[in-house]
Amino acid sequence: MKKKILVANRGEIACRIIRAIQELGHIAVAIYETPDNGALHIRVADEAIWLGDGPRVDYLNIERIIQVAKRHDIHAIHPGYGFLAENPDFPKACVENDIIFIGPSSEVIANLGDKVKARKIMAAAKIPMVPGTDNLSDDEDAAVAEALAFGEKYGYPIMLKATAGGGGRGIRQVDGAEDVQEQFSIARAEAIAAFSSGNVYIEKVVVEPKHVEVQIIADKTGETVHLGTRDCSIQRRNQKLVEIAPSLIPDQALLDEICATAVRAAKAANYENAGTVEFLIDSDMNYYFMEINTRVQVEHTVTEMITGIDIVRTQIKLALGKTLLFKQEDVQIRGYAIEMRINAEDPQNNFMPEGGKTVSVYRSPGGYGVRLDGFVYQGFTIPEVYDSLLVKLTVHGYSWNETVDRLRRCLKNYVISGPKTTIPFYLQLVDEPHFQSGDFNTSYIEQHPELLEYRDDDSEVTKLAALIAEIHHEKMNPYAI
Amino acid sequence: MSRIVQGMNIKEVLKTVREANGYYITNTARDLSQSDFKNRILLHTDLMAAQAREKAGYFSLEITGGASVHVDILRKQVDPFLKLKLLRDAMPNTMFQTLCRGVNLFGYRPYPQNVIRFTVREFAKYVDVWRVFDFMNYVPNMQAVFEEVQLAGKILEPCICFSTGPEHTDEYYVSKVKEILAVTGEDIVLCIKNHGGLGSPKRIGDLVSAIKSKYPDLVLHYHGHNTDGNDIGRITSAVLAGAEIVDAADHSFCGFYGPPPILTVAQTLKDYGKVAVSLDEEAVIESSDVIRDERPHYELFESQFKGFLPTVQIHKLPGGAMGSSLEQADKGGFLDKMPDILHNELPKVQKELGNYWSVTPGSQILWTTAVSNVQGGDRYGNPSGDLRNLLLGKYGPFPFYEPAEWIYEKVLGADWKQVLEEEGGVEDIEDMDIDKERKILTDRLGREPSEQDLVLYLQHPNDAVDFFKFQEKFGKAHVLPPSIFLKQGGFQLGDEIKFSDCDGKEHLIAIGPSQVAEDGSTSIFLNVDHNVRNYEMAPPVVEGAGPAQVEISKEEVEDLAKVGDMRAPFNANVCELSVDVGDTVKAGDKVAVLEAMKMQTPVVAAMAGVVGSIVAKVGDPLKTGDKIMKISGGNEEEGDA
Repeated sequence: MKKKILVANRGEIACRIIRAIQELGHIAVAIYETPDNGALHIRVADEAIWLGDGPRVDYLNIERIIQVAKRHDIHAIHPGYGFLAENPDFPKACVENDIIFIGPSSEVIANLGDKVKARKIMAAAKIPMVPGTDNLSDDEDAAVAEALAFGEKYGYPIMLKATAGGGGRGIRQVDGAEDVQEQFSIARAEAIAAFSSGNVYIEKVVVEPKHVEVQIIADKTGETVHLGTRDCSIQRRNQKLVEIAPSLIPDQALLDEICATAVRAAKAANYENAGTVEFLIDSDMNYYFMEINTRVQVEHTVTEMITGIDIVRTQIKLALGKTLLFKQEDVQIRGYAIEMRINAEDPQNNFMPEGGKTVSVYRSPGGYGVRLDGFVYQGFTIPEVYDSLLVKLTVHGYSWNETVDRLRRCLKNYVISGPKTTIPFYLQLVDEPHFQSGDFNTSYIEQHPELLEYRDDDSEVTKLAALIAEIHHEKMNPYAI
Repeated sequence: MSRIVQGMNIKEVLKTVREANGYYITNTARDLSQSDFKNRILLHTDLMAAQAREKAGYFSLEITGGASVHVDILRKQVDPFLKLKLLRDAMPNTMFQTLCRGVNLFGYRPYPQNVIRFTVREFAKYVDVWRVFDFMNYVPNMQAVFEEVQLAGKILEPCICFSTGPEHTDEYYVSKVKEILAVTGEDIVLCIKNHGGLGSPKRIGDLVSAIKSKYPDLVLHYHGHNTDGNDIGRITSAVLAGAEIVDAADHSFCGFYGPPPILTVAQTLKDYGKVAVSLDEEAVIESSDVIRDERPHYELFESQFKGFLPTVQIHKLPGGAMGSSLEQADKGGFLDKMPDILHNELPKVQKELGNYWSVTPGSQILWTTAVSNVQGGDRYGNPSGDLRNLLLGKYGPFPFYEPAEWIYEKVLGADWKQVLEEEGGVEDIEDMDIDKERKILTDRLGREPSEQDLVLYLQHPNDAVDFFKFQEKFGKAHVLPPSIFLKQGGFQLGDEIKFSDCDGKEHLIAIGPSQVAEDGSTSIFLNVDHNVRNYEMAPPVVEGAGPAQVEISKEEVEDLAKVGDMRAPFNANVCELSVDVGDTVKAGDKVAVLEAMKMQTPVVAAMAGVVGSIVAKVGDPLKTGDKIMKISGGNEEEGDA
């Protein structure tokens, strides 16, 4: 029976979820704020509901969303990522209004969202963790003293983290005892500003770790399987840019152990639906639990490519009461996948967002092993008030080299005019030897500033092609007549 | 083996020519068809023909010089030096020949001595035979070039420009040869330069005989044009009378105005018992065959006049000037007056101005004067700056007689005698501060120029900079064949263009769709070596958009000048700003020089005053009425009346 499912999100992920809903034969309902009135997600949805002028107000307004959901007879809500996806009040409000929330329960989200609580749960399950603390004291002097004691014991650098944080925000690194006081004040102020909670805790910093995460998926019976690893080490200021599946660490036994640990962690948290268990791996190949993301990840596409399992479809089916149709042994990893986030940003100008610009030309690559998850179209004006992700380019290949070659080809064939994008930066990256050999960790971008030293293509043939374009356009050669 | 090859010194060359049993042919590819056409032949085409031309065994290949250096950078977007380098690689044995306008080098007006010497030194690295002329046959104008060519150990070929008329006697020309030899010494080739293709075969035969009887060992090179269809006759006479070298061109690219076909010359003279030494006739045929299919791509530049022009014997206008004059007449809307100008006014002006040789830049002076006489109604009432210079003797003395006094009066004013007294005579042009110019060029380019860049810049400052910028933006475009470089009407969707770049790398570009955006800009998609690329073209400039265009008549320009508002009296490029802000000027002072159609015209102050502001910049293209500068007068209100 057809059900109305509301997508409480925008951008590419809204489009991604709408596709899954429509493939399942349900009715996809989009919501939008005024700046998004030209956005693709409201065009591809079966219905679209205007919430308000926003920006970033109505998408976060639980009351308003529940209100329109009830008015439109919504059966279930998919939160996507960001916005309300990890706000425990949202699934709670859904349940209270007899709407299915596609994701874990409010309680699980609350437990795992509170980083200190999460650490306690994981400690109980004997999941290896980076040394860390409880919430520091409310009293500033006491908190600073606790931080200093931690630093004394485990050594610097240490990381001050907002307990309610996520998405790379509310994190401050402290390199020595002399910086503790100052950084603590900033961290607490940021935590209050960003998450309305001044709770801050400490973790030891793992120097130049690899970021490896495991996609897990669990049904209401507690059946929990993992879909293998992803490497998301290539980040800029804690924002992921490139994601790879599976991890390129050659030690398969280690990866298997990490995956098994992830399943244990999920079970320990009573996890249901899709989630991601994040780990840090140090240079000695020790791995530490970092956190569980209780939502669909931006980078879920790479896992889908190598497993053939539609994670979003599975999420919806599980939420609507189905159990998993596959067991751990049914999950097969085939080849490699890489996702690059093509953002409307100018890498050479500190990745400054290019919002407000109109995409005058949009031509995307295609062919074997190529997947695009985007919401941009020719003529689309990028709203300035949301994030700058235009499209995720995901490629799949049998071998790592094949996958990189395919990625390069796709990047070269991409034409986006109007805003500057991260494509030229990625074109540098795909040819960088460390990247090609899988040798990278979270400091990769900082360690390769040369990736930013690209110029507009000035090869001889590009120049001559520019002349040919002009001869073609002017219907004669203006430099010869 | 009597073939002459590149690297032989002048003595070896002369010895080989003198001992050879026959005559030699120069392939005048540069000059192969007068009119605009000849200057447009792309390096790509010359390189196609290079192998066969190399095999053909010519005395030399004239492939640079004349206007070609300028047109190379202006319209063909090829570095004239790179062109010679690439041709040399393809043709190691053939001597390359240039045509140099003496003190005017490859330009249109006199250059300072140090610029002349610098230019000759750089070009002499690639050019073996230096044909040097002066349109007044004034030997001092050629002397600096003579000296540098001889210093460089290259083959010097001074010209006597040839024309017809009662003054153009054998005695006159023989005395000219004597004058030249006195300066150059005996180790030269002497050229009889018959650029108009004037005179009968008999006349040319007589002239060659006259020179030969006085200087039997002097090697003579006859250069002529087939404008009237009779140059084969003149060449035949010249060779029979003793000329050792003659000019002709590849038959698939000649036909009118230019030198006649090489093969016809060889075939004709064979029956007279004269052999074209070292000429491989099969190679001559081959070089024409390999480039034949390229010719249609140059159609736009073929002369507006088809057929032959025996009337050249009356108006004497050489083909080069003919091309630009027709273009000017077409643009100026007086194409219908051409027959009258060519048949009546031009011959009249020619006689009135001393019956000198109608060749660059003298031909342009004759032509523009004739046009202005017919168009303006008042003969000589509207003289160009160059005509003024001619009368002032800046180009050298009149060879036979001076124009009538009334013409001086018309051109120089009522006090012409005094003007002539004060300003007349050949001017010593001050040496240029080449280091300073190098710095200026460095600033304009944002990089250190090469010596050869500098040579181009010194001759054609703005055009050279435009060319360097073109190259930065579009690369080395000489690799493109005329079918692409000169493509008219755009390509078809899906057209595939194959070419090798300057490094020999093969490329394939496929034409994709074009899209016009809301703002009028166009995106052109090209598939470049299998990568899709988008080239954005700015929206077309809409006429009438922006500041309203004010049409100002020539009279209004003159009226405005009287109150100090100096504007362009016609469409022209600013070629010089003669004053600075704050300078004091009086009426009649030159404040700027404009250039149009190769002619320079001074702009003179119409009132006394102080230069307030200068709006125009050197190199600016101005339309009639565009502002140049403001002069504020002592007791005049500033600004417009």
